[in-house]
Amino acid sequence: MEDREIIGLFFERSERAIRELDKKYGKAVKAIAGNVLRDRQDAEECVNDAYLGVWSSIPPQRPDSLGSYVCRIARNQAISRLRSNTAAKRNDGFDLVLDELEECVSSGADVEAEIEGKELSRAVDRFLATLDYDDRFLFVRRYWYADSVKEIAAAMGRKENQLSVRLFRLREKLRKTLVKEGLLV
Amino acid sequence: MNREKLFDSLAELDDRYIAEALRYSPEAASGSSERIVHLNKKKIISFALAAVLILALGAAAYAVFSTYSARVPEPEETFRINWEENASGYIEWTDAKLAVTFPDTAESKEIEFRPGWLPDELSELMVKKPLSRLTAEELAYKFPELSGSQPLLIESYSMSMFNDGGALLLLYYTPEEIIEERWEEQGVDVMRFHATMHVDAAPHIHAPERTIEQDIILMSNPEAGWIVCLNGEIGMDELVKVARNLEIFETGRALTYDDFENHYAFMDGGVG
Repeated sequence: MEDREIIGLFFERSERAIRELDKKYGKAVKAIAGNVLRDRQDAEECVNDAYLGVWSSIPPQRPDSLGSYVCRIARNQAISRLRSNTAAKRNDGFDLVLDELEECVSSGADVEAEIEGKELSRAVDRFLATLDYDDRFLFVRRYWYADSVKEIAAAMGRKENQLSVRLFRLREKLRKTLVKEGLLV
Repeated sequence: MNREKLFDSLAELDDRYIAEALRYSPEAASGSSERIVHLNKKKIISFALAAVLILALGAAAYAVFSTYSARVPEPEETFRINWEENASGYIEWTDAKLAVTFPDTAESKEIEFRPGWLPDELSELMVKKPLSRLTAEELAYKFPELSGSQPLLIESYSMSMFNDGGALLLLYYTPEEIIEERWEEQGVDVMRFHATMHVDAAPHIHAPERTIEQDIILMSNPEAGWIVCLNGEIGMDELVKVARNLEIFETGRALTYDDFENHYAFMDGGVG
């Protein structure tokens, strides 16, 4: 079913809207919740919260891309939930994603503390626009969807080692971009 | 900044990249910048695909203005969108609340716009780059109090798109009194109104009954053939201020009827 048709169901307050949303994007939403939250029950609750968020916001909102809209809500919900969880529930896999990102902001370079999040976000957008499709897919799946390298390799039909090397180069390229744009000093 | 801040900043990544990475497409792996351009075009095409076919006409005119006319369709009047050439490739709606039509226009000047003034709470939307669509949806991720609202949405249309019976429709919101004006400073004809939509309770997910309110302004320039639609929940006075301060730029391109695959669009969404 097309996005606009599903959004139409939300506007009509049809319960089928949630079913169709889950049918089309459930796999991606569950994956991102599971990637950030190791706990299965937490992840399921996060998915339900994300669907409720979509139900409560459409209408009046009408997102251009329903898939990115629901995934973005799920990601935000999952991160909030992770941060409020106890240390016992920490997710090592997600920590690894953060550790990798740390390479972009360390290596002896300090980052301006007062950088606006939006400015940084736009810099990452510009960085992604310079990449080819494969690199962009790899970067977004790893650092936005928090997929494991193994999962990305399976989706792309590549070897894990090959992608790990590619990710290392992409992080280095991002770091240089941030330095060049004056966001890293 | 630390790794968390960098990760957080990714939360606001452009929708294009998030949607693009939903699933891997080997066919798309052949080029980078080309793919980005393609996605932009696709977005425009899918917007144009939000077309409806008015199957039954004949309702009385609601009002007649210098640039446009508006009428309330009969409840049973059917509006239909075709997006694929097959038996099931359409959507149908009934009970539209308002249909606005425009004089046939051979060529419309394509425009982009930039806000010249916005309320403080929307100041993050003040951009330098001219746009053809501005939405506050992304702010809802950052400010939870906005998550159940549509604070501001601005879109541009071409009159030539609506030639030969095409229309700009209000499907879900019910309009109140329609005000007709001429804003000489901007050289535009204006139609503006307050609209409401009742949303039933959904006990299965504990969502309460509610009424959503929006103000809608249509500004059209009959000489240049463009239309700008603003809607939002910031109140009519502030919406008028946004509209009056909007900076509008012609791109130099002229659009004709044939540039649009379909000739219907919506003011209030559901099919955007």
